[in-house]
Parts: sequence; structure tokens; C-alpha cells
Amino acid sequence: MNMLRALVLVALVAVAAAGCAKKTVQTPPAPPAETPTQTPTPPVTPTPTPTPTAPTTGLPLDQATLGKLQVVYFALDSDAIDEGGQSSLDANARALKSTTGDFVIEGHCDERGTAEYNQSLGERRAKAVQQYFADQGIALSRITVVSYGKDRPAVEGSDEQAWSKNRRAEFSLRK
Amino acid sequence: MRRLTLLFAGLLLLPASIGAAQGDPAEVKLEWKSGSTARLPLRCEPFAPVGDRDARTTSVQGDEVLAADLAGSAVFQVVKTWDPTSSGSTPQFVTGGKWTVRGTQLKLSGELRDFPGRRPILVKEYSGPVADWRGLVHRFADDIVLQLTGEPGVAGTRIAFVSRAGRDMELCVMDFDGHGLTQLTNDRSIARSPNWSPDGSLLIFTSYRGGTGPQLWVMNPANRKPFPISTRSGINTSGIYSPDGQRIACTLSQDGNSEIYVLDARGGSPQRLTNNRSVDTSPCWSPTGREITFTSGRSGNPQIYVMDSDGGNPRRLTYDVDYTDSPMWSPKGDRIAFVSRTGAGFDLYVCRSDGTGAQRVVSGGSNENPHWAPDGRHLVFSSNRDGALALYVTDLDGTPPRKLETGGRKALSPAWSPRH
Repeated sequence: MNMLRALVLVALVAVAAAGCAKKTVQTPPAPPAETPTQTPTPPVTPTPTPTPTAPTTGLPLDQATLGKLQVVYFALDSDAIDEGGQSSLDANARALKSTTGDFVIEGHCDERGTAEYNQSLGERRAKAVQQYFADQGIALSRITVVSYGKDRPAVEGSDEQAWSKNRRAEFSLRK
Repeated sequence: MRRLTLLFAGLLLLPASIGAAQGDPAEVKLEWKSGSTARLPLRCEPFAPVGDRDARTTSVQGDEVLAADLAGSAVFQVVKTWDPTSSGSTPQFVTGGKWTVRGTQLKLSGELRDFPGRRPILVKEYSGPVADWRGLVHRFADDIVLQLTGEPGVAGTRIAFVSRAGRDMELCVMDFDGHGLTQLTNDRSIARSPNWSPDGSLLIFTSYRGGTGPQLWVMNPANRKPFPISTRSGINTSGIYSPDGQRIACTLSQDGNSEIYVLDARGGSPQRLTNNRSVDTSPCWSPTGREITFTSGRSGNPQIYVMDSDGGNPRRLTYDVDYTDSPMWSPKGDRIAFVSRTGAGFDLYVCRSDGTGAQRVVSGGSNENPHWAPDGRHLVFSSNRDGALALYVTDLDGTPPRKLETGGRKALSPAWSPRH
């Protein structure tokens, strides 16, 4: 009997945890095991603290690895990372953690925003991705954020097909 | 002149407060009326070429430029006597004069007379190198507008803009009529959002030339050497000089999120004016320098606000329109132009500086980045209304926007220079 109750309890906790994790990006996933842990970091601080140091081992980040990273897409006017974006970023984080070297997160927007506002929105998108990576244990010192607003669309065109491809965060090597 | 004043007074009526506040009701009424009947019918007669035998080769071009300047002023309805397709109502005024070329020197003897009496209203001589004949014609055109409206025209102004070729966006400048286009940058990155210093000697613009994202740079178009003004971490965008030229309002994200700051003219001593978690951007000074209009997402979507130039007393201006941005305060301070999102792009709007009386002034296609001419009679903006991105001018009187020639380049992000 005791064992059954324990099992139910474990299941409930797991469901609750899963629910939490999906609900918001802000909740940091459990710290990755391979991160050399110093002191446990406070969950969310507004000022980015350089917690995990850059891994000293791993392959240098190259264009081939970057090219395999998944582009993250956003809803109109939004910098929120949805579930699809989270699973893309989880995969990206795994790939990036096996490498060393710096990279750029580019934030982009579609033409339905204005040039000026999009420059700010693009940065918010890139920073949302940066925060997600930081929460996954990627050193902030590896990451540069650049917003291109709507001036570097992935796809030319004035329909939802093009727009949805242009509202994105993608990755490039730091020059 | 009295006849003219009466004529202006008969145009569309606006609440008296606006005209009174600006001291010149005629101006405001001209700008706000819709329909083109209010333009003064004027007859352009060709200049008489005198002196060297080849005087006529430039005089016939001068005829066309003067007619285009006067038509572009939005004050006149122009009939060209040498052009059989050109017609209009009975003229009240006539222009002409002598075009004397001797060697490399041109003397333009310009005349403005009433019609049909042909009594002189303005008779003035302009002298200079033949090579600068356009400049002389522009000065004559601006003096004609000054004579009849009390304020000079804008024929001597220039327009800075950005030309796009593939992924590259380069800063360019040209005369207000599209002549003399010069490319100012050639760094194959992104240039954006130029604005002139109040004396017209400098352009501040957003540039990615540093390789680390948008930064603020300044250039004297005469020597084309850009120098950095703000390269702080995060974005540095939307730079615009204060009316006295001593300060620069801009958008920085050095503190984590886009906020509006004021810098000194060399880019130092940043003073933060906004403080909230949403985007604040696109600052523009009032002509007195005492207030700044800007865009903020603090209500949930971008809307136009005004605050004191120290950041105090922020208040929302726009309510009844969707996503809005690009507020530009008119040179006389009475109005603010902005863009608002439609299903297909953006329309241009103008409201009073207290936010009331918003009117859609340009629609069709996507229309962006409006910028006032120094006389407050026109807005230059970019649009894809005919397909490719190009620059257009609206005279705010219901007539269709006219396209500016940019030598086949895709053009956007224009800024109208002050008068020199």
C-alpha cells in the first residue's frame, strides 16, 4: 500500500513539474549535470550573472554546427518563445554545449512592423533566446545579440508564408 | 497682398486655436484643406536667352526646373506656356525674365508679375556660375513663394535617404527634386533612419558598419567621413538632433531594454528619459525643444506618446488607431505625423500636437517613415504603392503623392533637410 501511495505521489509531482516547465520560459530547467557547479544560482535574476563558465572542452564551434541549429520562430509582435521554440532551443543548447567558441543570436522581424520598433523587437527576441540558453547553462560570455529588425528577411514576400519565416531568431558565428 | 489674404481665408476652416497658436492662420489652412482648387493659378513663360549663343541650352532647362519648383511648392497651379498639354484656370500671376550667359557666368533676371496686368511683384537678379544654374533657379522659386506666402519655399533643400541593393542599405543624398544623387556610404552593411542637424551640415544615422549591431554615426555629407556617436552595448538607434543642435535624442538598450535617452552632441552624458519594461523608441523633438514625442509599447501595442524633454509628464496621444510609430513633429509645432498599421502595411496620419483630429493623409500600399519639409506643407515618405520601394511626397491637400526619382534605386527612410 505504501509503495502504491508513493508511486501516485511521484506521478503527481512529475505531472506538476511538467506542467510548470511548459507554461513559462522563465522557469529554468534543472541545471544540466555536466555543468561544473559552483554555488547554486538563484532562479531568475533580472541582471544576467555570468554563472556557468565556458566549457573548457569540446569542439570549436564552426559553420557546419551552426548551420544545423534550428531557427526559432515567433508570433506577430511577440518575443515569447512558444513550445515549438522551446524544443528547438533545447536541441540547439545540447549541440552548443558540446562546443566551445562564441556565436551571435540574430533577432529578426517581419515587414508588418515599423523599422524602428522592429529594431527593438528583434533585440527582445534575440535576448529571449539568450536567456533561454543561459538558463540551460550556456555561458553568456559566448553569446552576442544583434537585432536586424526587418532589414534582413529570410524570405521576400508579403504574405503570411513569408512573414512567418521572417519572425525569427537565428545563429551565426561572431566575426 | 490683401486679395491674397482673403483668398487664403476662404479655405477650409480649422478651429481657430491652431491658427492663432501658430501666428499665421493662412499657412495652416492651406495645409489642411483637401482638394486642389486653392492653389494659385500661375503662368510660367520661358526665360529669354541672352548673351552667348548657347544660352538657350540651359535656359530651356531652367524653364522646366522653375515650373517644377513652383508646382512642387504646393502653393501654385502651374501652366507652362511652352507646353501645349499644360492647362489650368485663368492665371493670377506670371513668371519669366532674362537668362544671360557670358562665358561661365549666368545672370538670371527673374520676374514675377500679376496677370493680366503684368505689374511687377518681384524683380530680382541672381548671378553665379552657369554650372550652378539649378541653384539660381531654386533661389528664384523660393523667393516667389516667400513673396506670396510670407515664407520661403523649399526648392533649395535636400533629401537624405537609404538605398537598398540586395542586402546592402547605403546612405544617399539628393536635391529635393531628385537631382544630384550622391551615395554617402559604401560599407555594404545597413544604414537607416538619417536625420539632419538643424544647420543642415551633418547627418546622424543608424549604421551596422561596426559589425556588432546598430550604432549611431554622424557624417558631414560634404566630406563623407562617418564618425561614431554612440556604440554602446545593445541597440543604438533613432538618433535625432534637438532644435538647438546641442543634444541628441535616441534609443539605447544598454540597460537591458529599449529606452529613450538624451546625449550631448558628441554622444556623451547619457540621460535616460523612459523607464518601463516595454519598448520605447522613435523620439522626435518639438520645435521648441521642450517636449519629445515617441513610440511606446507600454499599453500593449505601439502607440504615440509625448513627454517633457526631461522625461517628465508622459501622456498618450493616439487611441483610435492600430499599431503606430514614426511620430514626427511638424516644423511649426502644431501637428504630428505618424504611421498606423493596416492589413497590408501602413497608412500615414497627421494629428494635432495634442493628439486630436487625427486624419489619414496617405493610404494604398505600405507607406512609412514620414518626414516633414521645413515649410510644413509636405511630407516625404517611402512606399511600395507602385511596386518597388520608392520615395514620394504628399502635399497634404488631397492630390496624389508624387514619386521622386532616385535613379532606379530602391529607396526608403527619407529625411528632408532644413533650409540652408
